[in-house]
Amino acid sequence: MKALPLKGIRIADFTWIGAGSFTTKLFADFGADVINIESATRPDALRGSRPYRDGVPGVNRSGYFADRNTSKRSIALNLKSERGRILAKRLISVSDIVANNFSPGTMEKFGLGYEAVREFKSDIIYIAMSMQGASGPEHRYLGFGLTIGALTGLQFLSGAVDREPAGTGTNYPDHVPNPCHAAFAILAALRHRRKTGEGQFIDLAQTEPMISLLGPAIMQFTANGVTPERSGNLRLPKVPCGVYPCAGEDQWIAISAWTEPSWKALARVIGKSEWMGSEFSRLDQRIARRQSIDADLGEVTRGWSAEELMSVLQRNGVAAGVVRTAADVIERDPQLRARGHWIYLDHPEMGRSLYNAPPFRISGLADVPSTPAPLLGQHTYDVCRDLLGLSEGEIGALQSEGVLT
Amino acid sequence: MQPSTTPSTADPSLPRSVDQPLPAALAGIRVLELAGPAGQYCGKMFADLGADVILIEPPGGAHTRRERPFLRDQIHRETGLPFTYFNTGKRSVVLNLSAPEGRMIFRKLAEHSSLIIDTEKPGMMAPLGLDFGSLSADSPGLIMTSITPFGQTGPYAQWECDDIVALALGGLLSLGGYPETEPMAPYGNQAYLAAGQFAAVASLIALLGNEQAGNNAYPRHIDVSIQECVVLALENAVQFYDLEHTIRKREAGRQKLAGMGIFPCADGHVYLMAGGIASSNFWANTVQWLEDERVPGADQLKRVCWDDQDFLATEEAKGQFQKLFGPFALSRTKSYLYEAGQSRRIPICPVNSPKDLVHNRQLQHRNYFTAITHSSGEILTGPGAPYRLAATPWRLAGPSPTLGQHTAEILGELGFDRESQTAFFACGAVG
Repeated sequence: MKALPLKGIRIADFTWIGAGSFTTKLFADFGADVINIESATRPDALRGSRPYRDGVPGVNRSGYFADRNTSKRSIALNLKSERGRILAKRLISVSDIVANNFSPGTMEKFGLGYEAVREFKSDIIYIAMSMQGASGPEHRYLGFGLTIGALTGLQFLSGAVDREPAGTGTNYPDHVPNPCHAAFAILAALRHRRKTGEGQFIDLAQTEPMISLLGPAIMQFTANGVTPERSGNLRLPKVPCGVYPCAGEDQWIAISAWTEPSWKALARVIGKSEWMGSEFSRLDQRIARRQSIDADLGEVTRGWSAEELMSVLQRNGVAAGVVRTAADVIERDPQLRARGHWIYLDHPEMGRSLYNAPPFRISGLADVPSTPAPLLGQHTYDVCRDLLGLSEGEIGALQSEGVLT
Repeated sequence: MQPSTTPSTADPSLPRSVDQPLPAALAGIRVLELAGPAGQYCGKMFADLGADVILIEPPGGAHTRRERPFLRDQIHRETGLPFTYFNTGKRSVVLNLSAPEGRMIFRKLAEHSSLIIDTEKPGMMAPLGLDFGSLSADSPGLIMTSITPFGQTGPYAQWECDDIVALALGGLLSLGGYPETEPMAPYGNQAYLAAGQFAAVASLIALLGNEQAGNNAYPRHIDVSIQECVVLALENAVQFYDLEHTIRKREAGRQKLAGMGIFPCADGHVYLMAGGIASSNFWANTVQWLEDERVPGADQLKRVCWDDQDFLATEEAKGQFQKLFGPFALSRTKSYLYEAGQSRRIPICPVNSPKDLVHNRQLQHRNYFTAITHSSGEILTGPGAPYRLAATPWRLAGPSPTLGQHTAEILGELGFDRESQTAFFACGAVG
């Protein structure tokens, strides 16, 4: 019962940076053998991105890379050499899935495009996660999560109406929409292959899952002819619903108290007896008085500690949450602690460091991940010997020729 | 139960599947989705790849039917655009779970399902006898995915929540918005949607495991915390605190590093990532571009200090870059900057509005937008396939259902004759 559900599945993992790496991590954490094919001469840009252990740069020291690559194995292979490409093909031929998030044409240049791979591995499941898909007038354009956030409408729609678009402040599509959609598509393809023996090509444009999550905004334009505007934290008809200041430096609380019982409870807790009156009793009345309600609520919350106000509101059935910082979610959130969300793993170079658990628990399975991110090329030898059947001598020769690192 | 009667007629906007119907990857999987805002995208992901998704609604209809905006602003339970979009291809059954007959029908449906998606508060289903423990006793391979604000356990498990509260407690709000304003949430219930997506992945992982295990399948309860799903979106912020002891803050409207950020242009904004990506030529390409466009002083950006990431993080560097790039961008359109920058292999792109997207030539080339039939028969346009599976394509199985549209049909499939169906309707157990 404890065996991880994806045990026995192998991914030849050519992904790097954000969305691709996190897609294959989801498989690795649940038992798949994910072998990340890396380049020692041009390492994953995330390996060269802060934060580093103790602030000291190094290819094995990035926390950003580490959190996105748990449970994987790493081999360092020079795909620019003919023999490197032969080894990559041998690895693919003993894999179920090939994953990459290069620009279209990159894998083809190495002779590892879908058509080429299908010649020697006909039932392969092959996912290509380029920014804008495999073809089209802009398919070769470059981008990252932040530019994808801009391209997809997420940035345009998020922020204050009278300011420049704000977005999420992160490479949001890299962290949730693209990895989740890619993983779901691969899992669906695996199911189809188990039933029919047929593999397939999956073309995931990294703009499209995010746009799919913005469906209501798109349809507001296509069906109603209205371009939705940025509106800060306003979520009509929810009034009040927003983020309000609390005592102390840059302390905030999110409150959503628009339903009848929660509105009354809010008024009671903060001592706003006038809100009990008949001119506030219906939602449409509160919507009409939204600005003054927000201003008055902010005046009151300023006098409260965010944690205390959250506790007392929650005790009275009002949805409220402190705006937690990264330090808070690690150190001051009793819920995440009780859930075991934070996992410390012992990394060979970074030492004991912090990782996210997946945001769900599957009953009967051991806690994952249990293995930290690999060092660059940490498993080159093991994979070449055990999986590709190379002898010690052959491996040594390939290393001295620079094919393997 | 009879084989699925889900309408499987392909979307007419996908001509290939009409000429040559391709199989659906998730055919044969039946999903019961207890309607809720955090579960609807999860159900949609299953439905659009061919699963038979049955939406269980309470009498009067799911709350998700009341979400704005509405078609032509007509407020009605059948005209919500979010409901229309997120419930394509599902079948609707109205069940009153406080009536014993309603619970009996639910249990019968559960026996014939592979997956139940539930978004009730922890503990709400147990008094009804519809919790994981009770249901799995009769269904050895059942997977029940419970999506709740904080998970099934822990001190906040019974707390109240809303999308914005989950964004706050999960930390993403602390990164969103401008330094001078309150933290600002991203558009469109992204906490609920994140949970729906992770729930779909977790559910399919467990389903595949069970299908592979055959007779040795185990019932699985999947406990999804919306708060934790939000934490997963914090990028590198928790590692910054763990490894370098710095706390990332919201910084909208400013360059993250010199050459990385949003810039106003003649007709909107562009996002530029010239600086900050290791081992790339983006900076050099950008400087060359500005020189070729005869931006006075562009050669200053060639000095060795610009190779230093720490320098790029300074206000001095950001200010200098702004002085050179700002006026240049302001005098050009977003499409000019997009095409000219991309032709020089610089990651720059327009900040697109929904209108820009609908007219975007790349999305048009990919036929991304698709016909979404409203339950009235009216054809609307909305987002289409988020992934292209060549052998088992994404497709809409049908419109979102009207309230209780499939109640009688599904009762029939469960083997209830007309007489007992009438009795269930009469006593209010179904609707």
